[in-house]
Amino acid sequence: MALTRHHPKAVIAAGCSDLVAQFREGLEPEVLISLQRIKELREISNEAGILRIGSLVSHTEGSRSPEILSSVPALAAAWGSIATVRIRYRGTLGGNLLARRYRYEMPVILSALGAQMQFEGGDIAVLPVSSLWDRDSLWDRTLGNVGILTAVTVDTASLLWFGYERSMRPLSTVSLAVRKNTAGLTVSAVCGSEYRQPFVLSHTAEATDIAELDPAFVGEVLAAQLPDEAGDYAGSIDYRRHLVGVLCRRLLAEATGTQRKG
Amino acid sequence: MSLESPESGQETFTHNVEFELNGSPERHCVPTSATVLDLLRNSCGKQGVRASCERSVCGACTVLVDDLPVAACSTFAFDIEGARVETVEGLAAQDGTLSAQQQAFSECGGFQCGFCTSGMLMLTTGLLRQNPQPNREEIRDWISSNTCRCTGYEMILESVERAAELAGAKQQDQASE
Repeated sequence: MALTRHHPKAVIAAGCSDLVAQFREGLEPEVLISLQRIKELREISNEAGILRIGSLVSHTEGSRSPEILSSVPALAAAWGSIATVRIRYRGTLGGNLLARRYRYEMPVILSALGAQMQFEGGDIAVLPVSSLWDRDSLWDRTLGNVGILTAVTVDTASLLWFGYERSMRPLSTVSLAVRKNTAGLTVSAVCGSEYRQPFVLSHTAEATDIAELDPAFVGEVLAAQLPDEAGDYAGSIDYRRHLVGVLCRRLLAEATGTQRKG
Repeated sequence: MSLESPESGQETFTHNVEFELNGSPERHCVPTSATVLDLLRNSCGKQGVRASCERSVCGACTVLVDDLPVAACSTFAFDIEGARVETVEGLAAQDGTLSAQQQAFSECGGFQCGFCTSGMLMLTTGLLRQNPQPNREEIRDWISSNTCRCTGYEMILESVERAAELAGAKQQDQASE
């Protein structure tokens, strides 16, 4: 932390898979601070319904973590499905998020789960993962002074179901979570793609049981929220809305059929 | 852009990196921005580590670092301090006897132009260390991270299966001796 305060513009390095790519794209930092040997940032815990994942946890470690497998197994499965074996051993959670690249999948996966990024040593302490794409967000205003991302937390206490669909990648991926709250059940879906920023979609239903959700109806409601700018050269907005509706419906059918968490 | 060669007049920070390469100690002074690919090819003379996409996508530069497959093009050299690094040059025995993986790729024709082969061999080595008897799905998962421009991958998949057989037989022979 002292190093980051002394060098506020330092580039923080973890697995470095993406950082090397940024170097090739022209990044020329004056100071590089490597976190590789800070073991505390590799810890994973699940206490009182809060899953806490250290920012240096690699994709492979995350996908095999007993804490994640027991609390949100579909998160482990989704995590283990991204990238390739080489990247999964090397790439870290923090690097995947803070690279802020549209095509990276952990922001899509974790945004639907309502995950929060925990920072230390900067001006802010907590930011939702979904804020990575907010144009005028606190994130953009404080960029360069956010300190170090130490962990990501996920509230698992109210989580009823989570799933991730990447079969139509790169055009559209969908991460979907169902939570119970005082208003009923909230379905949060995040639509990602190779070419456009992830979009957060949400629907709250007056229901007490996940089996009461109508997958086709909720899928349509969610997909209709995609803004026109979600379209791209690989798929018009009409096509993407249709595709996202199908993927949401598929996930919800699984959710309502199994009624199990994860 | 070469990560290894800064523009003239630009200050370059360097690191001394000590590591084990194919069983032998190595020590080199490298710029902070040098990659493992730069180090292995230019300083250590290991040309079997291919330079291709340099974006950790194609797999041609795959080496093992502490038994795990790593994209040498996208790993900083300073990060292998104290590590055990293996390249394709370290697979064959000192008398030239091919490893099980090399023998299998030769038997099954798991190569055409050969450009991807060193990366495929290192992936196979890493896979078999973790899982001596992988099934097709597991092999496909690993091999899919290495792009072959020539084949339909079928012969490569067969090569990995054959490598598992040969390695297993070799272990049994050693155990019975």
